[in-house]
Amino acid sequence: MKFELVTLAGIKVDSDAYEVRVPTLAGPIGIFPGHEPLVSVAKPGVIAVRYAKSDNDDKLEYFAVSGGVVEVTKQGVRVLVDEADHGDDIVEAESKAALEKALKMQESAKSQVEIEQAQALVDRHQVRLNVAGLRRRNRK
Amino acid sequence: MPSQRQLKSRVRSVKNTKQITKAMQMVAASKMRRAQDATKATAPYTNSAREILAHLAKQGETKGHPLFEAREIKNRLLIVVASDKGLAGAYNSNVSKQYLREVLADRKENIGTKSIAIGRKVTSFVTRLKDAELLGAYEDLPDALEGHELRAALDTAFNQFTNGDVDAVDLIYTEFVSSVTQVAKTERMLPAGSIGAPESDEIREAVFEPDTETVLTNVVYRLLNAQLFQAFLDARASEHSMRMLAMKNATDNAGDLIEDLTLAMNKARQAAITQELAEISGGAEAMK
Repeated sequence: MKFELVTLAGIKVDSDAYEVRVPTLAGPIGIFPGHEPLVSVAKPGVIAVRYAKSDNDDKLEYFAVSGGVVEVTKQGVRVLVDEADHGDDIVEAESKAALEKALKMQESAKSQVEIEQAQALVDRHQVRLNVAGLRRRNRK
Repeated sequence: MPSQRQLKSRVRSVKNTKQITKAMQMVAASKMRRAQDATKATAPYTNSAREILAHLAKQGETKGHPLFEAREIKNRLLIVVASDKGLAGAYNSNVSKQYLREVLADRKENIGTKSIAIGRKVTSFVTRLKDAELLGAYEDLPDALEGHELRAALDTAFNQFTNGDVDAVDLIYTEFVSSVTQVAKTERMLPAGSIGAPESDEIREAVFEPDTETVLTNVVYRLLNAQLFQAFLDARASEHSMRMLAMKNATDNAGDLIEDLTLAMNKARQAAITQELAEISGGAEAMK
């Protein structure tokens, strides 16, 4: 089936895939070829893609995504997200530092707006850190 | 008439200015090319989101949905997009003028105006206005924008609208028509209108999870984000092309000025020589 990952900055991935795992509001779902047509809301989290049926877990590709919309048709899956970072592009140490900074910001935030902004940053870096961790575990 | 030396130093200083404007022109030109390509990037995202929205609209889901509800406008939120830096011709003043027009129109109708400013120049313009209510200012955004950077602005607008603090959200930015034409314009963001889009058969049989309303709210949110994102990219492409044009004009003018000044300098030098010769021959004549 076709797998498209569409972000605001353009199409990130457009290829064939065997399995796509997406976190949605109604819980994580795994999409295989022949899935019924579906439109759902994606949560910020990790999307995992298995490109070929014979691929092992260590060949899974991970993307850290912000919230968005998932559209499953007979032809394949289309995921619309504001942004998506490929697991390989995320540096674990950087994410960790950024997360700590965001947590600190959250503590020292004075207004509601600042708290919300810090919370969004915390969520974002938490997800990125998760992706980095997953990748490391699978490569071992 | 200025002396030869004065003219010489003026030519030198104009030459320096010309070099600077020329460099700025080149930088703006290369940035413009990149920004122009980037304006096309959101199209697949917007099209997919519109397709889903068109389908939901057809089912009547948009009726009675709070984001589509057209209320009587008592308060309005304006999101203004301009640049951080000047020296871009009439770019910032065009946007400011458009903004001022909207504010004055609101005042006439007794509508309260709130603003969100993106870009340093327009922020300082908004804050100078009397009783302007500025909800947020965003500065130093990069050219290569990522999806999350405008979300804070969007969330503010979204909350203001759903809470009923404002009854409409409008976007003021410069549309990039071509590298020679850029238009400052106002666009409605909320309440969301029904956007016509071709609907594919695929989606008609789809199941909506967790329910259609949540999906609808999310799709509209994505579309608004895309709209804001697109406006920002357009604004950047316009900024760079206007700066390029402004700097090209400045370079040309500096060239003309150098020509005039060089001519004046040569004239002054020739006049001095002639004068000296006249004095010498006058002196020789007197010795006879």
